[in-house]
Amino acid sequence: MIGLDVGSTTAKIVLLHEGNVTKSKVVPSHRWQELVDADIDEMQIISTGYFRKKVPHRDAITEITAAIFGVKYHFPETQMIVDIGGQDTKVIDLRNNSFLINDKCSAGTGAFLELAAHYFDIPVASLGELHNRVREGAQINNTCGVFAISEMISQLVKGYTMEEVVHGIHQAFARRISQMIPPTEKVTMIGGTVLNTGILDAMNSILNSKIKVPPEPQLINALGAALYGEQKVLK
Amino acid sequence: MTKTVGITALIPPELIYACHWQPFDVNNIVPTSHTSPRSKLCAWTAVWRDMILDGGMYLDSLVVVAGGDCHNALVDGQKVAMSGKPTHYFFYPFDRDPEYMESQLLHLTEFLGGIKETGMFKQVWDLKQKGKALDRLRVEDRVRASDVFSALISFSDLQGDPVAFEKCLDNILRTNVEYSSRVALIGVPPIYPDFHEVAESLGLHIVYDELPYEFIRLGGGDLRSIARSYRDYSFSGPIETRIKVIKRELDKRNVDGVIHYTQFACHHTLEDEIFREYLDYPILTVQGDLPRPTPEQIVLRLEAFSEMLEVST
Repeated sequence: MIGLDVGSTTAKIVLLHEGNVTKSKVVPSHRWQELVDADIDEMQIISTGYFRKKVPHRDAITEITAAIFGVKYHFPETQMIVDIGGQDTKVIDLRNNSFLINDKCSAGTGAFLELAAHYFDIPVASLGELHNRVREGAQINNTCGVFAISEMISQLVKGYTMEEVVHGIHQAFARRISQMIPPTEKVTMIGGTVLNTGILDAMNSILNSKIKVPPEPQLINALGAALYGEQKVLK
Repeated sequence: MTKTVGITALIPPELIYACHWQPFDVNNIVPTSHTSPRSKLCAWTAVWRDMILDGGMYLDSLVVVAGGDCHNALVDGQKVAMSGKPTHYFFYPFDRDPEYMESQLLHLTEFLGGIKETGMFKQVWDLKQKGKALDRLRVEDRVRASDVFSALISFSDLQGDPVAFEKCLDNILRTNVEYSSRVALIGVPPIYPDFHEVAESLGLHIVYDELPYEFIRLGGGDLRSIARSYRDYSFSGPIETRIKVIKRELDKRNVDGVIHYTQFACHHTLEDEIFREYLDYPILTVQGDLPRPTPEQIVLRLEAFSEMLEVST
């Protein structure tokens, strides 16, 4: 079975054979066709993500269902999934089948971190390393992404270093996301943004929960789509 | 010629007809309106306000319902009143006082020139029994939820003509409804005109529409019994009684989950946390703002909710 997750920023593919991942790949979303080569049978694809209905598929499922199947593969006991995407953040409460999606504001999404990285003219991937260079960050209060950037500039004017401001940005980001998460013990975080160790550090300092991150958190929804295919479609 | 009175929320339509006026629920035109309000908190009230002020909706008078049901209507209604439109303000008793409720109905009838024809009480009562029968057919999966919603939402004004409205009710198509999950829709009605059709297309059978159900639930044969019934209008009183009504209906209708529609900048939005605490069902909260076809972000939520309910059942 094949899971194809074409999200707002990146496209991911996972090939699954009897519950084991045999191949996976990530490309920018606009190059998703590179993932579906001649060897791939369209009838084996379960798609998910923003563009799930625009790509070849046998069945298409939402990112919420895909995330549930993908996370349970690694951590069956998880209670809460936090999926930080490029354009939105989803919090899925597995205890009562409820979920929240924040897509009205860039604060708390990958887009906000890209904006901050763009301002400093550095790669997004280096934000975590900058965060870890300092123990405390500049105070960034605003929960709106656009205003947080102007607040960030004000802190630089006051004399805070780039590292301190990045640390503060991550804390503000984590505060924003934590407001969406009901009290719980077992949280799993997924999505490419979780590769940023600064975000994980900030989330750990704010949430009173045990946070787990599965291997290759960016691929979880593609994996979940493939698992859904094996468990529900082929059944 | 019969004069038209606009109503901004639920007021006994039987009383308006009995006073020989034609009620017009100003909300019913909002979901398909293309008006872009000049200033707004809630689009529901801002759209009807601008439509009245700009001449896009003609009314002889306006009755503004304020208090528990809708707080924004009070200010937007006053803007209409200040333009010269004869306007009356109607308040429900938060403490359910029957005497206060009766006095409010009496003031309303004075504003409308007094009761002329008591036979309208019975006529509207009979129509509401037809509405209840239709609602039961939906619970039995024999009528599409979108058709029932369209009918029930019109019970606030009976489309200005009870005789023609009865024919519309009689013509609603009976069919076997197929679905994957049964859900209830609580909160103010969605500002998206195709919301029920979208839910249906995703396998969600909406077997309870909270607010429209109030329109057929309440009624009476004379002024006193109408007062005793409408003082229990759930949206206007303490939330505990509203939760009691909702719980009873959810249980009766055997639902798998609940959709709570919230309107941007509406005080009812703040009730979401309370519902999540007191209703033991999977709950999806969706928030709308301006009238338009259901946006893709909302469709995604409905689709995901449908999948979750299906996987878990």
